[in-house]
Amino acid sequence: MHELSIAQSLVDQAVDTASDHGADRIDRLELAVGEATHLNPDQLVFCLENVVAGTPAADADVVVDPVPPEGTCTCGWSGEPDTLPELPIAAPDLRCPECGERIELTAGTECRLVRISVPEAVEA
Amino acid sequence: MLTDLFGPLSMHRFGHDRGDTDGGSGDHDHNDTGGTDVLARYRERASEVHERVVHDHGVSCIEFLGSTGSGKTTLLERLVERRPADERVGAIVGDVAGDDDARRLEACGVDVVNVNTGKECHLDASLVADAVDELDLETLDRLYIENVGNMVCPADFPLGAEARVLVVSTTEGDDVVRKHPLLFQSCDAAVVNKTDIADAVGADTDRMRTDITEVAPDMEVFETNARDGSGTDRLTEYLAASGRGHAHTD
Ligand SMILES: Nc1nc2c(ncn2[C@@H]2O[C@H](COP(=O)(O)OP(=O)(O)OP(=O)(O)O)[C@@H](O)[C@H]2O)c(=O)[nH]1
Ligand SMILES: [Mg+2]
Ligand SMILES: [Zn+2]
Repeated sequence: MHELSIAQSLVDQAVDTASDHGADRIDRLELAVGEATHLNPDQLVFCLENVVAGTPAADADVVVDPVPPEGTCTCGWSGEPDTLPELPIAAPDLRCPECGERIELTAGTECRLVRISVPEAVEA
Repeated sequence: MLTDLFGPLSMHRFGHDRGDTDGGSGDHDHNDTGGTDVLARYRERASEVHERVVHDHGVSCIEFLGSTGSGKTTLLERLVERRPADERVGAIVGDVAGDDDARRLEACGVDVVNVNTGKECHLDASLVADAVDELDLETLDRLYIENVGNMVCPADFPLGAEARVLVVSTTEGDDVVRKHPLLFQSCDAAVVNKTDIADAVGADTDRMRTDITEVAPDMEVFETNARDGSGTDRLTEYLAASGRGHAHTD
């Protein structure tokens, strides 16, 4: 359950950003979460909803955008890898579709706050 | 009426669609970098640990992780017993509670720092960095890290070791690889332990090998019996080759 500490960092960031912009309330938090991580979006949302209590984000809507894996290969290939077939959980096929070597993931392993929404006209 | 902060988002506003320059209500001019990737921050901390332990102090650093009871500590005991006479070994041992594993390794002559992770179910690079502070790196040749028994979370939390060795055992069922692909993908080598009882529990180790190769191409696989040490010689050779400047690519 590391969702809790991750949620805490995200809320800290959101609250700091809002206060930098003079906003005293956050209405919406939007996150990007890589599909090749073990972060469970539902658990993350659940943890966020707990962590925001007593902060300016207490009533914020939380939205999670899943980020599919992307990769590159030393042969020059880059793109979205296939998903390995017939596994109980989704995982990218790390073999390069061009040359068969192992690719490096360049997306799909992140967890970021992409956007927060605050009330209009907050800076007098 | 809402204004968005962060990101490509300064463009996206909810509730109405005035242009950015109208009305003078102010605050639509936000940074467009987005927030910090929280997971990347943990990876950066792992790089710092790596830099300090491996590069600054020349200590070979190997992480063992895997399911609860797969045989991580037993395997470490065998590796430590078989080390060259002049090799000085330290260990950082993560456990949710207690210090049983730490004591077992201490009994083998290892300098151990025990880390109780409490409500966290895995080590992270910050916990490891704190534990490293308690060790005298000058006196060590090798540092082993035993992660908390957990087949899920560690995939997202590298610790900065030169090699991550995933220890699973035949008793977990031969579909263990397929159930945990992301963890296998995050590791450098896999140990299939408890080969002595594979037949008894009906585990097909060839199938496990095939699955590992499919999920994590190029991963080294070792089959061991950590009770009597069989199969650990190849692992020792692999770890020696991983040490100091071989396995890592930065
Ligand atoms: N038969 C058999 N038993 C083993 C083998 N390796 C370990 N065991 C036994 O499995 C049990 C668990 O071993 P540990 O080394 O404590 O496992 P661990 O992975 O360190 O466990 P945690 O730290 O609690 O996650 C012990 O009873 C060991 O004696 C093996 O190769 N064969
Ligand atoms: Mg142990
Ligand atoms: Zn390729």
